[in-house]
Amino acid sequence: MSTIKKIPKIPRLAQVVLVIGGIYTGFWLIFDLFLGQPIPKSLMGMYMFFVVTGVLMVFTATEESTRQLVHPIQALAEDPARRRWRNVVFLVVPGLVAMAVFLQMQPSDEAPLELRSIHPAPPSSVKIFGKRFDLMSLKNPYRHLQKDDPEQFRELVTAGGEVYIRNCQYCHGDKLDGKGPYAQGLNPVPLNFQDIGTIAQLQESFLFWRIATGGPGLPKEATPWISSMPIWQDFLSEEQIWQVILYLYDYTGHQPRSWGHD
Amino acid sequence: MATAEFNLRDFQSGRGVGQGGTAVLRRTVRLIAISLMLLIGLTATSAFSAGDAEKGEQIYVQRCTLCHGEDGDGMGPAAERLNPPPRDFTMAQYKIRTTAFEEIVPVDGDLVRMIHDGMPGTAMPGWSDVLTEQDINDLVAFLKTLAGLEEEEPGQIIDFGAQVPISPESVEAGRKLFHEDDRCSECHGQSGKGDAVKKLKDDSGYRTWPRNLTKPWTFRGSNDPRDIFTRITTGIAGTQMPSFDDPASEGRLSIEQRWNIANYVNSLAKTEKVVRPENIVIRATRVAGPVPVTPEDPQWQEAPSSTFLLVPQLITPDRFFTPSNDTITVRALYNQDEIGFHVEWDDRTRSIPGDGAAKKISEPGLSEDAVAIQLPVTLPVGAEKPYFLHGDSRHPVNLWFWRSGSTTADPSVSLVTARGSAGETTARDADAVGLQGSGSYHEGTWQVVLRRSMTTADPAEDLQFVEGAFIPVAFSAWDGSNGERDSAHTLTTWYWLLLKPQPGNTPWLFAGFAFVLILLIEIWWARTATRRARS
Repeated sequence: MSTIKKIPKIPRLAQVVLVIGGIYTGFWLIFDLFLGQPIPKSLMGMYMFFVVTGVLMVFTATEESTRQLVHPIQALAEDPARRRWRNVVFLVVPGLVAMAVFLQMQPSDEAPLELRSIHPAPPSSVKIFGKRFDLMSLKNPYRHLQKDDPEQFRELVTAGGEVYIRNCQYCHGDKLDGKGPYAQGLNPVPLNFQDIGTIAQLQESFLFWRIATGGPGLPKEATPWISSMPIWQDFLSEEQIWQVILYLYDYTGHQPRSWGHD
Repeated sequence: MATAEFNLRDFQSGRGVGQGGTAVLRRTVRLIAISLMLLIGLTATSAFSAGDAEKGEQIYVQRCTLCHGEDGDGMGPAAERLNPPPRDFTMAQYKIRTTAFEEIVPVDGDLVRMIHDGMPGTAMPGWSDVLTEQDINDLVAFLKTLAGLEEEEPGQIIDFGAQVPISPESVEAGRKLFHEDDRCSECHGQSGKGDAVKKLKDDSGYRTWPRNLTKPWTFRGSNDPRDIFTRITTGIAGTQMPSFDDPASEGRLSIEQRWNIANYVNSLAKTEKVVRPENIVIRATRVAGPVPVTPEDPQWQEAPSSTFLLVPQLITPDRFFTPSNDTITVRALYNQDEIGFHVEWDDRTRSIPGDGAAKKISEPGLSEDAVAIQLPVTLPVGAEKPYFLHGDSRHPVNLWFWRSGSTTADPSVSLVTARGSAGETTARDADAVGLQGSGSYHEGTWQVVLRRSMTTADPAEDLQFVEGAFIPVAFSAWDGSNGERDSAHTLTTWYWLLLKPQPGNTPWLFAGFAFVLILLIEIWWARTATRRARS
């Protein structure tokens, strides 16, 4: 403890500025410099709002800490000895505010932010191939063969692979990594099935619904108007969709999620 | 081995251009990396155990059969839907190799490279993130058995001589050689865009296209001069790209000549047509005078350009799998009355139905070339846009078409309001809303201008352009010589158009107001504070 006390104490106000500035620089270092993927301005504004609010809450937790924070500002206005500093600060602050207002008023040419839900909640039942499917209880009719008849299961996986390579690889890629030859031309980008956050988190019935009804079958919060996923029930049979689902899990080595313990 | 990847990234991010320091740094890093890899490669070939063909077969069955086929003949289930088709390994023809023209057998490193880096511009990805070096060696050993090369000694690597560094003199010497007697320009075109004068086929009878040399990210083996030198020297097996080092040929060139051509080809990279993923807004520039009418008008260059990837229409029937157009570059200019789009895309063939020469180089069923601009009929409220492919029943879109015409018909402009690709489309009178267009084709590139008044009489049917709003916009293109018509075409998803308004005096007014306001508050605060301090 004694060693810590030897360090000259940084005024509370400077601490606040340092912490906020440090966090901002941290964001910039990580996202702009290292990852090369800058955070959009509007999002950054949101983050910084919470950072500033949080920091101020911490620094004004007790009356004493609040006093320490506010005191130098009060002194600036009240202490005649600091009059020269006051004059400088009193000109710089409105100057900065005016500049911020000016920049804010400039028309922005940054594209609007499009937030979308990637795995929207599925409806409880859905009409596909002219039939009603209850997504809560729907199972892959071939899944049991993995244990019961491994040979037939392999054949079905191979059939699924053929469906995949003839239809899906253009966007989702040969390696199922979402980097197919046309992936870059699409927004949102095709899903990466190798990623632990995609099919590994989902039931096969969810995949069946997403494949069969495609982008236009998405609920509104998932912005169906921009997804390029085709409506596959127009091109594939029910069997083919279940087969391609087998292939997705087989190739990536992921396991589908299930509701119960069967 | 990483050259292709590095080059590609430089171009895609645009960092290789215009940022001198970074570019030099990257080039140095790349040089060091390549030298290191060569060094490791040299020692590794002797130190590493040669690949195990049996293990390689297992990898092949798991990873490669769906495209290249169970027998390695390139006849996997995907074959007919891929352009270019998957390689037939039984032919022992390897496009990207470093062994001389008369040598059939590549060095293992050639095969390793194609698997490691993939083939840019095709469906073949790089496998370095999935397969280990040993896996790739095993796979190479197996691939050689498919062609009966397992017992063969690798061929002699070509003589690179002394590399001629890139310089204006070398590039100029290369330019002359390129065009002399139409040596390279016969197939690659006068400006290197691979615009066809002949219908080329490979040994298996598949159509092949001379590379568009202005788009280096489509080079299968990178646009590094050393790689280009290698292609010129070895030729490309199975295709009509000849070797310019063939001792039996009169067309044989010296090593220095080949380096000069390589440097010239390297210089052809049209970096302004690079797709920058972050560039999703077309920023229309306001002009004082009229919006230019012809595509050649130099005033178009005043507007910043945005280049987007064109993807084939794989979404609604009938799907289209083998496109030829790959990117589209867009500019926009406007004034208080009118807005004009300038769209530009590389198309190797000028498709003129009825024309004999055009028919000769066309796939069956020659149609017009065409382009379309898609805009929502009404500006979206909130985030909801029309469905990106021809809108939907509740959100119709305007489609502005320009078609290139035939021997009997002039180029034409038309206007359609669409409500989904399966929904109802209404053909409209383009003249009535003042939609006009004009196009020109030059050395493998179409340039088309489409113009319309900012507002029309019928806001329920036509988009009314306004400054400051982000307007969704999408594009489609048809290469009529590639069997593209109706639903068979390439397209983009939604991007944004912004007519950037003139800010005027308002920001200054508001800034001044803010300054005075804060200053007054401060003075008031200082006065009360001093008064308090005194009392």
